[in-house]
Amino acid sequence: MDARGAAEGRTAVTLFSTDHRVIGKQYIGLALFSVLLGMLLSLVMRFHLVHPDSKVRLFQMLWPDGAPGGQMTPELYLSLMTMHGTIMVFFVLTTAPQSGFGNYFLPLQLGAKDMAFPVLNMLSFWTTALSLVTLLAAFLVEGGAPLSGWTAYPPLSGLGKITGPGQGLGQDLWIVSIALFCAASLMGAINFIVTVIELRAPGMGYFDMPLTCWGWFVTALISLFAFAVLLAGGILLLLDRSAGTSFFIPAGLVVNDQAQTRSGGSPILFQHLFWFFGHPEVYIAILPGMGLISTVLGVFSGKKVFGYKAMAIAMLAIGGLGFVVWGHHMFISGMSPYSSIAFSVLTLAVGVPSAVKTFNWLATLWGGRLRFSAAMHYALGFVSLFITGGITGLVLGQPGLDIYFHDTYFVVAHFHLIMGVAAIFAIFAGLHYWFPKMYGRFLHEGLGKLHFFLTFALVYAVFVPLHFAGFVGNPRRYPDFKEYEFLKTVLPLHIGVTHAAYTLAAVQLLFLGNYFWSKRRGAVAPANPWGADTREWSDD
Amino acid sequence: MTNIARTGQSLLIAASSMLFAAFTSALVVRRAIGGDWVSPPLPYWIWLTLPLAPLASWWIHRGRTGWAMAAGVLLVALQLAVLAQLRLAVIGEAFCAVLTAAHAVHAAAGVAALGRFGVNAGLFWHFAGLLWLYLLFLLGVWA
Repeated sequence: MDARGAAEGRTAVTLFSTDHRVIGKQYIGLALFSVLLGMLLSLVMRFHLVHPDSKVRLFQMLWPDGAPGGQMTPELYLSLMTMHGTIMVFFVLTTAPQSGFGNYFLPLQLGAKDMAFPVLNMLSFWTTALSLVTLLAAFLVEGGAPLSGWTAYPPLSGLGKITGPGQGLGQDLWIVSIALFCAASLMGAINFIVTVIELRAPGMGYFDMPLTCWGWFVTALISLFAFAVLLAGGILLLLDRSAGTSFFIPAGLVVNDQAQTRSGGSPILFQHLFWFFGHPEVYIAILPGMGLISTVLGVFSGKKVFGYKAMAIAMLAIGGLGFVVWGHHMFISGMSPYSSIAFSVLTLAVGVPSAVKTFNWLATLWGGRLRFSAAMHYALGFVSLFITGGITGLVLGQPGLDIYFHDTYFVVAHFHLIMGVAAIFAIFAGLHYWFPKMYGRFLHEGLGKLHFFLTFALVYAVFVPLHFAGFVGNPRRYPDFKEYEFLKTVLPLHIGVTHAAYTLAAVQLLFLGNYFWSKRRGAVAPANPWGADTREWSDD
Repeated sequence: MTNIARTGQSLLIAASSMLFAAFTSALVVRRAIGGDWVSPPLPYWIWLTLPLAPLASWWIHRGRTGWAMAAGVLLVALQLAVLAQLRLAVIGEAFCAVLTAAHAVHAAAGVAALGRFGVNAGLFWHFAGLLWLYLLFLLGVWA
């Protein structure tokens, strides 16, 4: 009874803890919940794509308006897509690698007692949690979740209920949620940067920091400069919706047979504001993973990372270039071809520091005494996904090709591999690598490797075929392919993809089981189980 | 002021600068391409706010945070009075409203920070003051 009472007391205290380790675990927990939810939404979408006419009682129970009689409406499909993208990009990819692992391990690796502003850190987590609750509330309000995707382009997102169910209160909640997320991310970014600048152990220079710290540092710098711009776009969009302004709404618009009274606004202006944030956001998701993978490859090759300084500088270069390439998301927006060429050249230039990193990873492996732990498997998987996903970035970075591929499944395949799955593999690698530090026990190695091989094969089974759908010109966001003659050929391919996706989701139960079982029953780990030389393993 | 406080404030200033840079670029683009731009008619007494920013900074420099806070409160009050006069349906005035409101939030936060941290929060106030001078130029003269 005493033990239980003590445990309850601890729960109350740790809920609003200012300890960076607790906050790190809270972020990881939030991301874990979000990734499961986001994955379930994707399964519902994949189901609908191959069974567009089937009536499902469960859908009717969950969404009485969105699935009358169990038949999913196109609007419901779009709202699921919006929520899937938003949850995954913000609450998984932005949250776990940076705020989760970063909070836990940045102070330990720098030799600091805690983050620079512990209370701000706690506030930042709870603002993120509030942001997630606000987003999910969109499912419950009248009209349901918004339809305009995670990019929320106006005029669809800027006019309110008239543009569809979910475009009323649902879209408002979406914008408020993202504004809260911006505030939380800015707090987090300031905390990370001050910690790196001011709280490094005495004698530790910037180029003495582990590459993980470089990843979190550069990511925080990107967040600092990017999220404020998204916040600006969100504020203007909210005013267009609620105050009758015309920042983004053009003149002469007729929506559902109703003439709109706005004038002079520019939807393209929103796209510029959004993508000035949106492209750096991609690097926010992947840079912490790059830092972590460098460390894991080094430790399990029994060597120092090859070309340490080049790796750190490459991260800075990727972060810097990230701010001057946003136009490549807008090649078909009517921008001047001269601008397109500039954005294209700068985009292809990102390939240079990316190649530096990839070759340095390979050189780290070369001649090493390789130990194939589960974490090492995921790290190698990350490198593979980074290459396959990155190569198609070079394709899409060219305006001539992008005009064809824009808004097709080729783009979907590209960004899921590089931004989604690669970053998720980094999270898996991080969990296997740092679990002994976080919980004093190992994640089960054999189960981890089995999960790796199945997941690795299945993510390629899901996303490689989608490139081919893109070749055919298969558009994104369409809820029903069978209505289009030219898409008849890709239907069998989508059936295969959907089955691979089901299996992929089922395989994740292996990981979940491993996670919760190992937390309590896993093999007890020694202080420095992998023979690493970074401070988190010696400091306590 | 500790290094941590100074670095933290500098970063906050960098993030705020990005917010206002984004609003500014939106204003410049929207003004150029909309075809419906009318110079926003700001009330003449908005220029009363002009001396408040440097005055507050000077008082902070002299360690008189109370006077600086009073100047800040007066600035926010005048900004709210300006906001009450603007019509959001007119795009130029909508930009004035957004920028003035965003600055009022910064000024109010600056006042609160002066109350809580004294002159240690001065760096942020100097920034907020400079920012207001810039906005007066942008909205009152250029736009």
